[in-house]
Amino acid sequence: MIDVLQIAGAHHRYGALTALDSVDMTVRAGECVALLGPNGAGKTTLVGLATGLLAPQSGQVRVCGGDPRRAATRRHLGVVQQSMGFPRTLTVAELVRGAAVRAGRPATAAGPVLAEVGITDLQRRRAGKLSGGQQQRVALAMALVGDPTLLLLDEPTVGLDITSRRAFWRTIAARRDAGAGILLTTHIVEEAAAVADRVVVLHRGHVVAADTPAGLTARLPDRTIVARTGVADSVLRTLPGVLSVTTDGDRVQVATAAPEDVLRRWLVLDEQLTDLRVEGAGLEQALLALTGDATSGDNTTGNNTTGDKVEVRA
Amino acid sequence: MTAIETGPTSPLAPGLRVLGVEVADGVRAILREPTALFFSVLFPVMFFALFASLFGNQPSASGLPTAATMLATFGTFGVVSVMLLSPGVAVAEDRTSGWLRVKKVSAAPIGTTIAAKVISALPYALAVVLAISGVSLLVAGPVLDLGTWLRLVGVLLLGGLPFTLLGLAVGFVASSNATAAVLNAVYLPMVVASGLWFPLDMMPGFVQALAPFLPTYHLAQLALAQLTGADALGNLLALLLTTAISAVLAGWAYRNLRV
Repeated sequence: MIDVLQIAGAHHRYGALTALDSVDMTVRAGECVALLGPNGAGKTTLVGLATGLLAPQSGQVRVCGGDPRRAATRRHLGVVQQSMGFPRTLTVAELVRGAAVRAGRPATAAGPVLAEVGITDLQRRRAGKLSGGQQQRVALAMALVGDPTLLLLDEPTVGLDITSRRAFWRTIAARRDAGAGILLTTHIVEEAAAVADRVVVLHRGHVVAADTPAGLTARLPDRTIVARTGVADSVLRTLPGVLSVTTDGDRVQVATAAPEDVLRRWLVLDEQLTDLRVEGAGLEQALLALTGDATSGDNTTGNNTTGDKVEVRA
Repeated sequence: MTAIETGPTSPLAPGLRVLGVEVADGVRAILREPTALFFSVLFPVMFFALFASLFGNQPSASGLPTAATMLATFGTFGVVSVMLLSPGVAVAEDRTSGWLRVKKVSAAPIGTTIAAKVISALPYALAVVLAISGVSLLVAGPVLDLGTWLRLVGVLLLGGLPFTLLGLAVGFVASSNATAAVLNAVYLPMVVASGLWFPLDMMPGFVQALAPFLPTYHLAQLALAQLTGADALGNLLALLLTTAISAVLAGWAYRNLRV
């Protein structure tokens, strides 16, 4: 298969801060790759390199074999940015037609794409006045109208409701099946696992894991148990199924893929255990499991992935 | 849908098609949200109407009717208002909102987008000159022959270029609010000190001494020279120098463009 995005040995620094440290990754045609990482992991820098906004300080970036700093190379590229900043004065149809022309396609290419993303009925509306979900579909239509070989989606589903999300990913999956390569950035473990063929985990400018969703989730905790306990960390670590143990004040957090097994033994060891909670594991715990490196410094909002928070009172 | 206009076999080069779309977007922006340019167009016209109805028929120092010389000075004021502010503020707005980044990651060169901002401001600069000329016809009758008037319009529109470059230089690095504030803060004193509102000989001596250092003064003198036939080579050179300096500034700001 053809590599539609190749990044080799990419280093990037902002002053003393290293944003990317010898990052290698590829996206092949017909493949959806999720770039997973917390804020500050280097995702935005990587997207900047792939879109040609940033010049690589060292290493190489190729989009369909060409340098994305060249306008001609970017004909192969469709981008959905975090903030599109639609002008207040333009309608949806005008925006998508403009995007078609900028991508070297006829303005008439807009019609089918408006239908593809389901915004034909919005085409006369001013984009700036639409809801977040509708605006995201306009952004997607603008990215798709050039028939991109590589589609870059930077945190594309932030702020979307569940229906919009599903519709969004259906459109993306159809384009992937038609042969486009997709790179999406996200900080939501479940989203990366659900929509991607491969997940690349970026942490502090390093690729710490690159695997299929199945391969990755096998290595990741899917639950975190939080409780006040008299049992020592060192003892908890020896329990079967425990992936990591951290303390947060007087509470202990145990990451595990088998919460029932762990709890059964833990409750036997500590009859005074209180304040028990079982939560879905977030990116924080996933990174901890992958790197063995506490990420308290990167404790960012939005990392909590739990729509499925479970409270258990002992 | 006709394939001739929009099909892949379009006779227009891709760059020109992009420029066409960008100019259309720019014109729509100004038409659909006219308040941004409202005062740039209205102020010169209202000022002109007021002063022309008071003094338009009196002879000026040059012997021409005051309405004629005011076409040159208020024309300079109006055209430079639009050409200094409109492209610069538009670029700053697009930069601040993230919209310029959308253009920058597209397959169209960003220079086309910026050129389009300048081109789509030209009709409004022309509208100011036409409105002033219309008022002048009403209150003072025909004071210029057509050839002279056309030369005047040409000089004003071309003479707007160094100011556009200056506006872009600020718009490339400052926020949209800051761009408008900075440009107005520099421009309005320049307008007064260049004798665009009131004749320079009504001004205090230090203002008269300062005027030759201001590009607006030289554009107004070059515009007046179209009427009087006076030698304006020095004014032309001063404007060319301003253009060169503005171009260097705009180029530097463009290289530091953060989108």
